[in-house]
Amino acid sequence: MLNKSLVNSLKQIVGSENVVTGRIPLFTYSYDASLFPGRPDVVVFPTTTEMVCALFHFAAEQGLNVTPRGAGTCLSGGAVASEGGIVISMNKMNRIIDINQVNRTILVEAGVINKSIQAAAEPFGLMFAPDPASLNVSTIGGNIAENAGGIRGVKYGCTKDHVLGLEVVIPSGEVVKTGQLLSISDAQIDLSYFLCGSEGTLGIVTKALLALTPINPEVVTMTAVFNDLGDAGDCVADIIARGVTPTTMEIMDNTLIKAVEDYAKLGLPKDAEALLLLEVDGFSSELKTQVPSIIEAFQKNRAKNYSIAGNEQERQALWKARRSANGALGKLKPSMVVQDVVVPRDRLAAMLRNVSALAKKYGIIIAQLAHAGDGNLHPHLLYDHRVPQEAEVIEHVCDEIFKEALAQGGTLSGEHGIGLEKVKYMPLAFSQESISYMKQLKNAFDPESHFNPGKLLP
Amino acid sequence: MKHMELVETIMKCNRCAACHDVCPTYKISGDEFSVARGRLRLLRMGLENQINLDAEPELERFVNECLLCKACEVNCPSNVPTTQIISDIRARHTAKKGLPLPKRFLYRGFFSNPRRLNLARKLARLYQKSGAQWLIKQAGIMKESNNLMPDMPNFSVRDNLPFVLNEMPEAKHKVAYFLGCSINQFFSNVGIATIKVLQANDCAVIVPELHCCGAPHQSAGDLEEYKRLARYNLDKLSELDVEAIIVDCATCGAILKEYVELFEEETEYREKAVKIKNLLADISSYLLQLGYSHGEKEIACTVTYHDPCHSVRGLKVSDASREILKNIPGISFVEMREADMCCGGAGSYGIFHPDISRKILQRKMNNYQGTGASILVTTCPACMMQLKYGMRTYDISGQVKHLVEILAESYGI
Repeated sequence: MLNKSLVNSLKQIVGSENVVTGRIPLFTYSYDASLFPGRPDVVVFPTTTEMVCALFHFAAEQGLNVTPRGAGTCLSGGAVASEGGIVISMNKMNRIIDINQVNRTILVEAGVINKSIQAAAEPFGLMFAPDPASLNVSTIGGNIAENAGGIRGVKYGCTKDHVLGLEVVIPSGEVVKTGQLLSISDAQIDLSYFLCGSEGTLGIVTKALLALTPINPEVVTMTAVFNDLGDAGDCVADIIARGVTPTTMEIMDNTLIKAVEDYAKLGLPKDAEALLLLEVDGFSSELKTQVPSIIEAFQKNRAKNYSIAGNEQERQALWKARRSANGALGKLKPSMVVQDVVVPRDRLAAMLRNVSALAKKYGIIIAQLAHAGDGNLHPHLLYDHRVPQEAEVIEHVCDEIFKEALAQGGTLSGEHGIGLEKVKYMPLAFSQESISYMKQLKNAFDPESHFNPGKLLP
Repeated sequence: MKHMELVETIMKCNRCAACHDVCPTYKISGDEFSVARGRLRLLRMGLENQINLDAEPELERFVNECLLCKACEVNCPSNVPTTQIISDIRARHTAKKGLPLPKRFLYRGFFSNPRRLNLARKLARLYQKSGAQWLIKQAGIMKESNNLMPDMPNFSVRDNLPFVLNEMPEAKHKVAYFLGCSINQFFSNVGIATIKVLQANDCAVIVPELHCCGAPHQSAGDLEEYKRLARYNLDKLSELDVEAIIVDCATCGAILKEYVELFEEETEYREKAVKIKNLLADISSYLLQLGYSHGEKEIACTVTYHDPCHSVRGLKVSDASREILKNIPGISFVEMREADMCCGGAGSYGIFHPDISRKILQRKMNNYQGTGASILVTTCPACMMQLKYGMRTYDISGQVKHLVEILAESYGI
């Protein structure tokens, strides 16, 4: 708890309605979408960049830790104040400042919700390509901090591929502009790319200039069923190798198919080992050559059968299985850990098989969902938190999954970030030299290590 | 729900924050303690004895600020029944501490007692017509209830029944009309329109004498009184020989449907509740199912539709009302942004949480004005009260009407 005079100083900076110090309300800022707790001493809601600067000066004077927060949807513990201090919640700094149809750009404050950007862009036939599953609620500031991806990631990339420039307040309280917000010229050291994915350890993004992408006129949605999980993985690699880049390639394994079918009764084949949901977009002339090529890949990789949506209604029906995944899994066990490893596409089949083998070896339920197109696997490990042994086993299996991903030439996180969750695995993924280099960079921004301490770097 | 069941149900929340997207109290505040995810966390901590569930005024405030609009519930990937959980906790608080005096006065004193409610309307009308309202308004007291109060009609629907109900021995259909308190007392035009529209479609109508459905008591956690009213209604309704029980109040309809869960552990009443649930039909769906006759009189205006929470998420009716509106000759229908978001009325929520209620209402009225429609149509008297209040407060020159009023107009009745 902060003493009264400190709280008053904060109230002077952001206004008394934008400071939360009550014991009870603070409990509601002590979590994010991960399992990691962290109780702040105070939560503040700045509404201007100047307020953020003043808050940083205040925090530096008082030696307080600072944890940035958006909507609190982080899956790796990035938004919790695990070492106390101030939570700076950016969700009330949420204006869309400008949208430029000709340049296809949008300038927004950090607290704007991804969905609001989509809604602002859509009337111009444009979209913001990154579409994390949390897009209806997560803020662009959080998307940038975690370098969020999404279902369209295989074709359109992650958040960092669509950031043109940033306004960021660094721990010293100075405002720094990067990329096109600094100058239209490329003759600069562009920090934008480097700040994306830094998980709030280097400062707080206050504004972002983002690139918008035209919405393609045609889309074809298809699903294929496989008798072998590895075949589905090989099929995905094969499709990309043919030069076709779908917007979406999602693999669901047998555990997930069965759970979804029991839950939503969609008529899915419960004996199938894998279901691949795939979507391609483009002009109709492009699709004319892409779709037959994909069908060839289905056949070559032993797909049992496939279907193509003929209209919007059928398209929604095919998507329904994917969308029901979360609810379906909640029925099986009360708790769940979602992992987020990435492997090279040609190792996808091996990784999927090996994760299934781990589930068998330890006698637990792992439902596999993969953004397969970019080699990003999301094994869902189900357990009952009230049974201590189960939680222990889960933790051990997570270790094994990370080791396996690294052994396949992969890495720790596709889009959820390192946060608190994976910080202990960093020395396994990176050499001592790389980590010490990253630490030097961190040190240049935040020598006192007050910004999101305990996250990202070991 | 029992204690353990409550804890386990809350644990299904995986904190994904999907509720941020739809919760009205979060949308206007941006505060984590004003959304399902935050409320559930506090309740879980209370149930696990990390904080005192029964003696934390702030916790109780956050729980009471929930509108019970069910928006989070239908949007929740893990299907956490937040409305049910909040209602259970309110019932627990009420059982331990009793109802706060103003709620007790309003709910048990009036809604529980048809005769007193009738008297209240008459007094309120006198109050409005005599100039006393003007005086009190000047004095600035009773501000919220004053503003929310609709213009009181001279007669209730029940007073009018002898003049409205027709003997129709040859009618093709026989239905009972569940006449809710608010329609009966505050919006008698609506009730009369419902009866006339049904009769115009060859339905003989009976209007049984019933009690309040119990919605105000349920929302305040007054479980004992809620059950008493429900039992009475179920006894009366299950004696009827009709092919349907028609509601024109979304709230009454949704609550009648919930009697089934209310009596989960009482076989006799559960059976009655199931029977009533199967007979229950909201007026729009019933008319469509009948193949109702479309009105002939042209009504040349632009209208939009507000989905009452208890309709779209309680009764699961939204398309039917729109279809009937679109079928009215001359009408041009425009969809409103966030049409299915709560208006902040939520029964008597506006009286007890005026600031939040007004902010939510303002958003609703902005969305309404964006349509350019001259009539805002809905199917719930509590919403009508709130929306009319919005029209007055923000000086908007539009009308609020119940769907059946506009339908009756197109029938020329």
